Amino acid sequence: MSQGVVKGKGKEKETEKLKAERRENEADDRLWVDMYEPTTEAELAVHVKKVEDVRRWISEAFDGGPSGKLKKYRRILALSGPAGTGKTSTVRVLAREMGFEILEWRNVIGEASNITFDDSGENHASGSSSSFNPLEDYDSDYESLFTKFETFLNRASSCQNIFASSASSSKAPSPPQFHSSTSKPKSPSIQSSGSPGAKKHVILLEDLPNILHARTQAQFHAALNSLVSSLPSEPPVPVIIIVSDAGVRGEAGDDVGTGGSGLSRGGWGRDRDRDVVDVRTVLGKELLNSPYVTQVVFNPIAVTLMRKALQALLSTHFSSYSVSLRCATPSKDVLEIIITSANGDIRSAIMALQFACVVELQPRKGKKGKEKNSAEKVIMEAITRREQGLHLFHLMGRLLYNKRKGDPPNPRATTKDIQKDRDLDAGLQDPPKPPPHLREHERRTSRVDVDLLYADSPIDSSLFSLYIHQNYTQFCDDLDQCEGVAEALSWVDSNGGEAWYQGNPHRFHLLALGTLHALPSPVPRRSQKLFKPEFFHFLQKEKDAWDGVRDARRWVVDETLGGNAIAWRAGGWSKSDVAVELGGILKSRDTTSLMTSRPPASHRLFSRMPFALGSNERGQQLGEGEVNGGEEEEEEELGIWGVGKKDEVHNGGWLEGDDIDDFE
Amino acid sequence: MSLWVDQFRPRTLDTLHYHKGLSERLKSLAASGDFPHMLFYGPSGAGKKTRITCTLRQLFGAGVEKLKIDQRVFLSPSKRKLEINIVQSNFHIEITPSEAGSYDRLVIQEILKEIAQTQQVDLNAKQRFKVVIINEADSLSRDAQAALRRTMEKYMSNMRIILCANSTSRLIAPIKSRCLLMRVAAPSPTEMHDVLKFVSKRAGFDLPEEVSSKIVDDSGGNLRKAILVLEALKMQSPDLTGSITIAKPDWETYCNKVADLIVSEQSPARVMEVRTKFYELLSHCIPPTVILKTVAERVVERVDESLKAEIMHWAAFYEVRMRVGNKKIYHLEAWVVKVMSLYKHFFYDIDMSGFD
Repeated sequence: MSQGVVKGKGKEKETEKLKAERRENEADDRLWVDMYEPTTEAELAVHVKKVEDVRRWISEAFDGGPSGKLKKYRRILALSGPAGTGKTSTVRVLAREMGFEILEWRNVIGEASNITFDDSGENHASGSSSSFNPLEDYDSDYESLFTKFETFLNRASSCQNIFASSASSSKAPSPPQFHSSTSKPKSPSIQSSGSPGAKKHVILLEDLPNILHARTQAQFHAALNSLVSSLPSEPPVPVIIIVSDAGVRGEAGDDVGTGGSGLSRGGWGRDRDRDVVDVRTVLGKELLNSPYVTQVVFNPIAVTLMRKALQALLSTHFSSYSVSLRCATPSKDVLEIIITSANGDIRSAIMALQFACVVELQPRKGKKGKEKNSAEKVIMEAITRREQGLHLFHLMGRLLYNKRKGDPPNPRATTKDIQKDRDLDAGLQDPPKPPPHLREHERRTSRVDVDLLYADSPIDSSLFSLYIHQNYTQFCDDLDQCEGVAEALSWVDSNGGEAWYQGNPHRFHLLALGTLHALPSPVPRRSQKLFKPEFFHFLQKEKDAWDGVRDARRWVVDETLGGNAIAWRAGGWSKSDVAVELGGILKSRDTTSLMTSRPPASHRLFSRMPFALGSNERGQQLGEGEVNGGEEEEEEELGIWGVGKKDEVHNGGWLEGDDIDDFE
Repeated sequence: MSLWVDQFRPRTLDTLHYHKGLSERLKSLAASGDFPHMLFYGPSGAGKKTRITCTLRQLFGAGVEKLKIDQRVFLSPSKRKLEINIVQSNFHIEITPSEAGSYDRLVIQEILKEIAQTQQVDLNAKQRFKVVIINEADSLSRDAQAALRRTMEKYMSNMRIILCANSTSRLIAPIKSRCLLMRVAAPSPTEMHDVLKFVSKRAGFDLPEEVSSKIVDDSGGNLRKAILVLEALKMQSPDLTGSITIAKPDWETYCNKVADLIVSEQSPARVMEVRTKFYELLSHCIPPTVILKTVAERVVERVDESLKAEIMHWAAFYEVRMRVGNKKIYHLEAWVVKVMSLYKHFFYDIDMSGFD
């Protein structure tokens, strides 16, 4: 109790101190992310090759490449990748280095906000704000946000901004002239920045109109299409679109909807709104595959690159701010924790770093080094913890390799890894021995923390179970182990009621634990490869086949109506009757030519089933992440289980199974 | 030209070929003026719907045969359009709410309310009420069944409901207790022979005895299937002589081969193979329960006597789970793995005893 009071006081003092410090230097308020934004390519933590890709694209867009003809096809560049991988920074740095100007679209929230921000962070009202009149604001000239966007796009891509150079060179506090020519004072602001005297422009779309609204999306696609189909203006104004792959956890949508039962009955489960913003929704399928669009995917920032960048940042910070030297440079351990927990997101890493420097992390005296370390770790984890910790690939790997305490180390493991495992094992408690009749269930303690898996899982339990289902057989040695997993899957799936709220809230845990319990230990390495569930593919097929059933049924009914004057028993055929029993007759009607009316050809979708032995197509492999436009698209459109496909997507082939350990 | 199944279907209770007792009872019920809600249940192809239509005719006369087929559009709560086919006459309306998937409650409510709130205007109508036929009642969701239960009580004055289902096990008790249950059993082989003979006579040819018995054996008590097979056979070989093999539908042959796969090898790799086959079957719209039943029957034919009971037990076990669960493939596969492991252990144990 008393200790708590003392601590509280200590904290108060500390905050006081901080406040005082703040007052001393107001400029310190800015976030480090803004303060130390990279200005040269050397400072960028992005992989050199990616920067080179973007640079080449931009130069081709302006100059047309070596042949001079590429200009036509370098119209839209889509930069995608997880948040905080330096997409925007790359463009800005290149703008500075290559000398072009960025015209950026910003949505305005609320019609009345007529305040624009410019680079320096000062805000200033635009001209008419003093004479602001709400009535004027809603006059007949009202333009929807999207109309404004279109206007912006048109003018920015076709008109030369004659004042731009002067505006940006003088850094005048007035909004760029271009802006006032756009339409009204209340229109969204256009920011222009870049080197003075630049003649070339690039349109940067980062803050997109509301793509999730179906109509806006269609309009947006149409606008981009018309932009692309027109000839490039002279000089060309390429468009750069930046889309962060916001991973969506499908938790809320966990098994909402009808599941298979709904589908097998009527197939109404489709058309769920696609509520994920990714490159595909933003650009549309056709546009993405058209030659006018180039996509560059940014990967999470590598650990080494990030460490370099953070260290550079720290050194600049502590050399220029002698005042703030009072709070010490964060220790190396802290830096490491920040880097590992950031998962390649440099923005979050810098934020965490700033936090680490503002708050006194060193605990009070008298504590041992190790404890201190763990305390730091707790704090750092608390601030840097992110929802999407694990990539799907690693999640599955961790689960399916079923590591347990005392596993022999991987021959390729480094001593450091072995030590790490040993430390981990030391922390794990052995479970009590089961009584003799339960001996068969005795297992060594698992190294997998299911709670952690659940917390970090990027997918919901339904998709998770599909992934387990697709892949478990490779990891089993014999049928008994298979039986365990299959039983767990079956039990969890049938556990709970019809409605989503009746579902078992522990599904994920039950699945994970059931699988872990059933799998052999250790799992033999056979260079297993992870696959994506085939489930969705067959679901699509089933849906098509149901259409065939519908056609066939209509045919039967029409036949009946045509044959007899009195429509009799027209609704007599249920769908499953058609699918199960009508096959024979449809087949023979197809073969005999005597019949006047033939059944619709689509019946073959359900009536024809050639048996092919060994044609074991295994669907797509789950890479550590890859980009593919085609097939995954379809799976997403299904969305029947309330989940899209949310593989972590970035470049790279699949890993050998053994590589999974290295990641842990 | 319509299918024989539809063409030669009996239209009145008097012309029905079998279950005479049931017909008598229906007739007296229709005459009594106190017609209850009804639930017809029984295996498919036993004649449930035929009996329902015959009863309707008995109730309302020939006017009930003047049908029109509508397509009604319902709006789901998320403003999605659901198209439902509705067959109706002046006296009754027939719906299959399960076509709307999980929105079946909506369909039930809308239609029943509409029917219930309109009085019979035709003064010549024999009955004061209208009849609503609900097909595939056993695939109604719980919500829909609850909705139905309430309306059944509320609008008893001007509406009767006839439910048609394969089994009563999926219906909630309150509905069962509000209905008069009519079990329509599958016809016996002799009854089926009679019907086949009748059909062939009407179609204008003589059916050889052996062909008839072959068809009956193959059909497993499903009269619709039997007549369809007969028609297909007639189409393939118009004289119906010589050695006649009944061509099974593709999916049945497929199930057969899946059973072979299960029995011939038991390994995790084989599990994967069988899974693909199951996926294939599912994607051809074969209902999962049918798949499980057929494959289980085929497997049972191929294994030792002592295993049969166990295999069927697990088939039943996983069938129940399948009904509750969402992803049918899990349960099918769980059953396969179970069977494989049983089968393997069976041989393994024999080997061990041989050593002793």
